[in-house]
Amino acid sequence: MKDLKTPGRPWTSSPSARALGALVAVLLLGALFNAEGAFFKWGTHRDMLRAVSVFGILACGMTGVIISGGIDLSVGSILALASVTFSLLTIHWHWAAPWAVLACLGVGMACGLCSGALVAKAKMQPFIATLAMMVFARGLAKWVTGGEKISQAVKQSDGTFAYVDLPPLFKWIDSRILYDNISVVTLVFLTCLLLCWVLLNKLRAGRYIYAVGGNEEAARLSGVPVGLIRIVTYGVSGLCCAVAGMCQACQEYQGDPEAGAGYELSAIAMVVIGGTSLNGGKGSIWLTLIGVLTIGYLDKILSINAVGEDKRLMLTGIIVVAAVLLQKSRR
Amino acid sequence: MNHCMKTLMVGLTCMGLWVAGCAKKAEQDGLTIGMSQCNLGEPWRVQMNADIQQAASTHPEIKVIFKDAQNDTLKQRAQVEEFISAGVDLIIISPKEAAPLTPVVAQAYAKGIPVIVLDRRVLGDQYTCFIGADNVKIGRAAGQWLVTHLDPGAKLVELKGLMTSTPGQDRHTGFMEGIKDANLNIIFEADMKWLEANARKEMESALARFDRIDAVYAHNDPGAHGAYLAAKAVGRESAIKFIGIDALPQEGQVYVEQGILAASFEYPTGGQEAIDTALKILKGESVPKEITLSSRIYEAKP
Amino acid sequence: MTTPLLQMKGIGKSFGANRVLQDVHLDLFAGEVHILAGENGAGKSTLINILGGVHQDYEGQILLDGTARQFKSVLEAARHGIAVIHQELSLVNTLSVADNLFLGREVCRWSWLQRTSMLAQARQWLAALDLDIDVTCPVEQYPVGIRQMIEICKALSLQSRIMVMDEPTSALTEPESQRLFGLIDTLKQRGVGIIYITHKMEEIYRIGDRITVLRDGQAIGTARSHLLPQDTLVTWMVGRTIQEQFPNHAPHTGEVCLQARHFTVPDPDRRGACVVDHVNLAVHAGEIVGVAGLQGSGNSALLNGLFGTFGRRVQGDVQINGRPYTAFSPGHSIARGMALVTNDRKTTGLIASMNIIQNVTLASLKAFCEGGFLQPKAERRAAAQQSRALNLKASSLNEDMDCLSGGNQQKVVLAKWLETRPRILLLDDPCRGVDIGAKHEIYELMTRLCTEGVAIVLVSSEMPELLCMSDRILVMHRGQVTLALNRDEATQEKILYAALGKRNNA
Repeated sequence: MKDLKTPGRPWTSSPSARALGALVAVLLLGALFNAEGAFFKWGTHRDMLRAVSVFGILACGMTGVIISGGIDLSVGSILALASVTFSLLTIHWHWAAPWAVLACLGVGMACGLCSGALVAKAKMQPFIATLAMMVFARGLAKWVTGGEKISQAVKQSDGTFAYVDLPPLFKWIDSRILYDNISVVTLVFLTCLLLCWVLLNKLRAGRYIYAVGGNEEAARLSGVPVGLIRIVTYGVSGLCCAVAGMCQACQEYQGDPEAGAGYELSAIAMVVIGGTSLNGGKGSIWLTLIGVLTIGYLDKILSINAVGEDKRLMLTGIIVVAAVLLQKSRR
Repeated sequence: MNHCMKTLMVGLTCMGLWVAGCAKKAEQDGLTIGMSQCNLGEPWRVQMNADIQQAASTHPEIKVIFKDAQNDTLKQRAQVEEFISAGVDLIIISPKEAAPLTPVVAQAYAKGIPVIVLDRRVLGDQYTCFIGADNVKIGRAAGQWLVTHLDPGAKLVELKGLMTSTPGQDRHTGFMEGIKDANLNIIFEADMKWLEANARKEMESALARFDRIDAVYAHNDPGAHGAYLAAKAVGRESAIKFIGIDALPQEGQVYVEQGILAASFEYPTGGQEAIDTALKILKGESVPKEITLSSRIYEAKP
Repeated sequence: MTTPLLQMKGIGKSFGANRVLQDVHLDLFAGEVHILAGENGAGKSTLINILGGVHQDYEGQILLDGTARQFKSVLEAARHGIAVIHQELSLVNTLSVADNLFLGREVCRWSWLQRTSMLAQARQWLAALDLDIDVTCPVEQYPVGIRQMIEICKALSLQSRIMVMDEPTSALTEPESQRLFGLIDTLKQRGVGIIYITHKMEEIYRIGDRITVLRDGQAIGTARSHLLPQDTLVTWMVGRTIQEQFPNHAPHTGEVCLQARHFTVPDPDRRGACVVDHVNLAVHAGEIVGVAGLQGSGNSALLNGLFGTFGRRVQGDVQINGRPYTAFSPGHSIARGMALVTNDRKTTGLIASMNIIQNVTLASLKAFCEGGFLQPKAERRAAAQQSRALNLKASSLNEDMDCLSGGNQQKVVLAKWLETRPRILLLDDPCRGVDIGAKHEIYELMTRLCTEGVAIVLVSSEMPELLCMSDRILVMHRGQVTLALNRDEATQEKILYAALGKRNNA
């Protein structure tokens, strides 16, 4: 009644504009609490991007799963499994890097395909199937390592430790390129993002992922191989976990079977804060990027201001709710 | 569906047999020691079990049954009850929490089963012996070490474990006592929740904010290592002394040996001591009510 | 004359710049059934929502028993005795009948539920409507028709004096509908005023006392139903005269396209029982075969079974263009030239989160790909072509599904299937919830496809549609074909007889 001119929707109603709004708000917060100018140094942003990359890679895979109407709780555990596998193969067994990388990707994908099959073929609830995978993969990671970190110190039969050299790949992934301006892990993250974008927006499989999430039955009756698509999304998520796990191992210079505990919740939060619907069918990988940056910056701002853990948790909770409310409010 | 059920049944049966097989071991002859570990999620506790195993392996007459309570107080209580009803000769417990586990320990003690409490305490005196290290003392040692190795006016970063946990609080309190009289400033402190990845992130923030940092005190070695990696990434690792706590053979000791950490303060697991004490008790010798473990300092060669 | 139970005076309402209602008058007397008719998008739902308290910012006045009222919420409207029974029922399916009746106003003493007293009261109310059902059973165990009656019973128990029924029979079988009409008579005797929205002509004249027609947000007219001839009514609704509702259609019978022998679909819930029981069917190119039957007779299951909705659980010999077909999956069926327009576009037809283009190309996406990569330009071209051919009304092809009216949504579904270039088109109630103009276009489309040699199998809940569109009609009852008729020998009576399972050849 008031607005007679434009029958079209206001720009604020587009999901990406809303997601960007949350990001801008967080950035403004950073500019306000800049910790004696530390926020305005490029190094801060570069470090934030490095720290958030592992989560971002997990969120890439998670985006596909959530758009297809599922959820993957196993990402943190598969990350740990991949991280110990990679360390074991390269540090202790001296495999050449390409084979180790391939083997790790294989392990991650196998885990993902396994949860996918449980969801698609055994018709288990995604929550249950991936919860089982989460517990199983964590157990497997602990079993493989005997509960200890896989590092340069190799236990000898007499109980003493001998030290082996770190493979060059570790140092390379943990380094920065482009005149020290960007971490390699960040580039790995951006590559994953780009590949997922191609999958979701350019490939037929991607359209099918949206269709399955939007209306599974209608998609099935339109000839979409629903089961296969579900398995593929979890497989891709598993692959992303493997990539993230290798990045994590390289950044810690060791494989930690306890790594990535609770990462699944961060990854889901990043996807959801971007505006991808947990009901499936809606969302995009770019929204996830915005979500990753929002959480990453939020974390960084709290960190450079040395905010205590207690307040940090409370503030994070409040800001996550605020961001999601901003997403939801219409008009 | 039918097929699934069958597979499930077979799987469950196999599992049942396996569990039964495990349980059978307890019925062998000789001396049996029950060891209830509160949580095997931390490398330090894995090390504790390994130390106990190692110490026990030199005494063929004793057999140790390990149980992992997976960070669950009630589970640990049930485990001790199982030990009691299985009639083990001695119980070693590294309790998750003091108050809820005090009654069950007292119950075992009253039944005449000697109980060695390891690392964390229970309330009262209804146990045979407590063996543990003193976090406050170790934290103080770390503080004093920095006082002697730094010039006055030095700027410090403290990466805390978890300030809601007793070890975190004690390591902080001790450290503050250690540097009390010296002219050292803590310019940045953050919780890293014992995790290397978090420590690295927090250290990056500290590095972005402060151009001069002279030393980093982390509540565990992985934290110190994470801080080192953050500093190394910006080429500032040589200007900073990193010290950590725990000095596990495959972690802190390695880092010190590689020159990554300037020092690491051992937080002994007490595994060896627990078995030694257990043997004494089982032989009928008297043991002190409380054994405080001494901590070693591992220092980088200059 | 007595004061009307309800008067709505000069009601107007806009959504943004979009004017959806303009100066609408409506009144309702106690014990009267007032039909609200009009095409989809005419403003019926908005009017109902204003009455039900969903919209608060409207122009005009609502008077209950002569007193002006302004409802601030749905709850307030309900408190004044207005009950709206929507197409999507508002019962909690997992709760029992009694729990549903008392939902939100449980009988409690010291916050303990008084179960026995609630059950007794629930039985009382149901008995008043001649409903003999177990009140402790979960609602989901009952068919839609019974659920609807439970909902009406709930409204009655709330002392509602005005009931709005929004296309209540759209999901009901014929006997269920008859039962509902009986119930409506009971309600009338109790002095309840009923506003009844429907698209079905027979219903309008069967139960309506008065009719108000809405078109483009305006009240075109109100008349006593026996004084309003059907063609005037249609003219009021459509705004133009439709000479003949059904296009002339001559069969172009060619080769046998689809042949099924002893086709059987086992019942997934009951072992040994069948929803489709040894049905023989042959459809020729250019022919429309109608399959009549009440809901649950297996006609819909027959189409779904042939298309592969149930996978390979089905049995029987099926041949497509003379070649045996055994794969029975939607993907294979599409590849063999089959298409199925399901009877519920919301749950099985459309993907609401996708736009028109994506919905239209979904079933034939392989044709729009090169090496797995989508070709957006080709997709847009195809969607534009289909929407032109089907006269789809949308402001842009990027429009979301929920912005489209029912008729246009159905056209998107049809476009999706036409894009697969089907040779065999299975239509399961293609005109459900579609307004009269779009219906006509769908009939014309069917005729055109026949001349192009497409074989069509049509299942419909509307008898005139079946009678006029089909070249041959099969009637099903409990999974079996009880009667096969040619176009010229088919009558409504014969079909109804056979559909009710009376096998004597009439």
